Amino acid sequence: MKRTLDTGNAAITEGAIIAGCRLFAGYPITPATEIAENMSRRLPQVGGYYLQAEDELAALHICVGASLGGLKAMTATSGPGYILYADPYGWAIGSEIPVVIVNAQRVGPVSGITGAPGQGEFYLSRYPTQGGNFETIVLAPNSVQEAFTLTVEAFYLAERFRTPVTLLADQLVTDGWETLIIPETEEEIQAMGLKVIPRRINEGPEFYPATDEIDIPPVVLGHNTGAACSDWTPTAEGYDTEEVEWQHKHAYRLIYKIRNHKDLITRYESYFLEDDPEVILVSYGSPSRVVKSAVKAAREKGLKVGGLRLISLWPFPDEIFTKTAKYLSVELNYDGQLVREVQRAMPKGSEVHFMGKCGELPTVAELMELIEALIKGQPLKAKPWEMEAW
Amino acid sequence: MAKRTEVLVSGFGGQGVVRIGQALSLAAVYQGLYTTMLISHGTETRGGYVRSQVVMSEEPIDSPVVENPDYFCALSKAAYNRFKHLVSHGVIIYDPGYVEPDPNLNVKQIPLNARDLAEKELGRELFANAIVMGALSKLMSGLLDKDIVIKAMLERIPRFHEENKKAFELGYSLL
Amino acid sequence: MDYLATKYLRPRKIPSTACSGCGLGQIHKKVVKAIDELGLDVGDVVWGTGIGCAGRQTFATWKGDNFAGTHGRVYALATGLRIALPPNKKIILTVGDGDAFGIGFNHLLNCARRNVDLTVIVCDNLGYMSTGGQYGWTTPEGYRTDSSPYGMWEPNWMQGGRDVLNILREAGATFLARHTSIEGQEAVESIKKAILNKGFSLVHMPYPCVTNFAERALGSRRPAVMYKWFKERTVKLNERVDEKALGDIYFRTGIYYDASNSRPEFAEALRNRVAEIQRRFR
Repeated sequence: MKRTLDTGNAAITEGAIIAGCRLFAGYPITPATEIAENMSRRLPQVGGYYLQAEDELAALHICVGASLGGLKAMTATSGPGYILYADPYGWAIGSEIPVVIVNAQRVGPVSGITGAPGQGEFYLSRYPTQGGNFETIVLAPNSVQEAFTLTVEAFYLAERFRTPVTLLADQLVTDGWETLIIPETEEEIQAMGLKVIPRRINEGPEFYPATDEIDIPPVVLGHNTGAACSDWTPTAEGYDTEEVEWQHKHAYRLIYKIRNHKDLITRYESYFLEDDPEVILVSYGSPSRVVKSAVKAAREKGLKVGGLRLISLWPFPDEIFTKTAKYLSVELNYDGQLVREVQRAMPKGSEVHFMGKCGELPTVAELMELIEALIKGQPLKAKPWEMEAW
Repeated sequence: MAKRTEVLVSGFGGQGVVRIGQALSLAAVYQGLYTTMLISHGTETRGGYVRSQVVMSEEPIDSPVVENPDYFCALSKAAYNRFKHLVSHGVIIYDPGYVEPDPNLNVKQIPLNARDLAEKELGRELFANAIVMGALSKLMSGLLDKDIVIKAMLERIPRFHEENKKAFELGYSLL
Repeated sequence: MDYLATKYLRPRKIPSTACSGCGLGQIHKKVVKAIDELGLDVGDVVWGTGIGCAGRQTFATWKGDNFAGTHGRVYALATGLRIALPPNKKIILTVGDGDAFGIGFNHLLNCARRNVDLTVIVCDNLGYMSTGGQYGWTTPEGYRTDSSPYGMWEPNWMQGGRDVLNILREAGATFLARHTSIEGQEAVESIKKAILNKGFSLVHMPYPCVTNFAERALGSRRPAVMYKWFKERTVKLNERVDEKALGDIYFRTGIYYDASNSRPEFAEALRNRVAEIQRRFR
């Protein structure tokens, strides 16, 4: 094992290479540029290809095209580029082509603040393209080490489910420096529990079977399998069709291949949940680090507080919200995104509250104040995260 | 909470704020500690500050936010004024070339004339950050070995190794 | 088309769903004929398409491997595919004028700049015909469409001293030709050269749309009227014409620019570069 001090950007690069990524196409954007730079240096060393695309539309299309030819591929961006992925993202979902997409979230909307962390693309990562009739897979690291392991996991899930997987990071995870441990041999990769599967080739004639099964190899062109893949609704053989019956089958497959195998995707961490928490803090990504400190500090004070940290965001893990409690969603946005899903998923009799920050992490002190107020049943005082205060 | 050590270094762009943080963090890695470092920058172009928040611990680190620094190193007036109130039990190391200390603060404040010394003793302002690193290394010697901090510093600074080592020793000897 | 169709195309897709009288089939047949005359097999070609009449009608007609990209982005998709596929596989794209010269023009130009080994056949029905007939970037000046009811007034890529092929040449394309669908073997020969160029090739092929273009622009859906209009406006590159007398758009046909195999092909150059860097790090 190699133990270093490095950034999330470097961790993602090394994770991708270990997962077998051999093509990266990107477009410079803060704070994801460093992933592209790292890839441009590292990929040729392992026989892989780096391309700078004319825009993000082209970047993801190039990745998907390479994947269609059998290469594992990845791109990385931030919010303004992620929105431009809508077109190829949808194509890859519909044609069921594996690809990995990194979004280092910053403050928005649009360009916002380039070098500050945000969490504004929670819902966009659920609906990264139009048309509906699909589920997405989204993973959210909260540390440099996890950025590494979840990148490997993202490639693994992309292959098994043959769909794009978004690694929804934020600027603090990608730009932050931390201890990073990287395996150097096959044994070490296995010892770390990392799973890597090679690309398989669908030999046909059923390229789009009407089933919720996973582990069906994707279409790979160039092997004269007679494959057909397109942006249109496909028949099992991949022909474009306007028959509603095939649309039903296609939608069923895109939705239920993920919903019916959710257990392979869902990952979360919980703190003090078995210990009758009155208040449960919910978070993902870098704010969850502060939340964990706050929950521990509250417990040390004897306050009945617990925490839920989502590692997989989509499909949303409704089933982990089993406790009736006062929920507090802690996010890096002011509009409240994760909180809406918490409200939907929490058991009857629960309360839901929201704390949003923008461009910087909350502090343990801020969270403690809110926790104490919630436990005492006091209304949350006007604070900068409540829009009225502005 | 597990025993953690928090270091906040802040100043303006070009002072080596990021480098100081990196060297300390890297030294922590070499000592087998867990460490995190957040860098806030970009704002210096708007007259703001650059900030490195370094946390070290023997256990995995939860919050990477420095809320209560054990060591706050202030290299500009703006940084000092913005973060001085975070310090409750720690020490503030400030460069009097930039910072006028607040006499009302009830914490230990140590002046470190890094910019002037770098210019006078080593001929270039450039070496001020190595002086700061030396001083911090002395203050943190219960946690980080001096030799390891030097090794980490030299890995993060590509040039002028001899001068930087000298500057480091100077900083180390001052406190 | 019997012999060629049996050899290369899928029975399921014959006859095509194109409108009766559509000129697209003429282009499709010429591309398949060129492939046949080059002695290529089904497995030698991966066939891609865009969106619109050209994309929809030619998608999954090829017996081998097929793909249809999003509107205007098939050039970027094909760039990624080109890197992944063995160099001896031909990638042929049949796309429309809106796809290539409108929504996808940026990506098309970047493919030309990179000299990606692709053969792009732009099947040009002079506007957006699959959506009912709106003007596009090659619609002749003054002609009526559903979105230019008073006549096409925007500058197009074809008249007023502009020629889209000149732009592509400047961008770095290594083979460029134009033929109308009503031309014969000379068009097939150009397509063959386009396929043989190891680099970015484009053949611009205007063709008659009797259902929408002819109806609005010429006031008739009779194929004879549309084909006569095309025939009058198909002029060989070296042919002398009285431009003033014609006073209208015309299509200069032939090989515009042939710099085949004169510039490094993108994917090959990338592979060589990567191999060289890899050697250094071994």
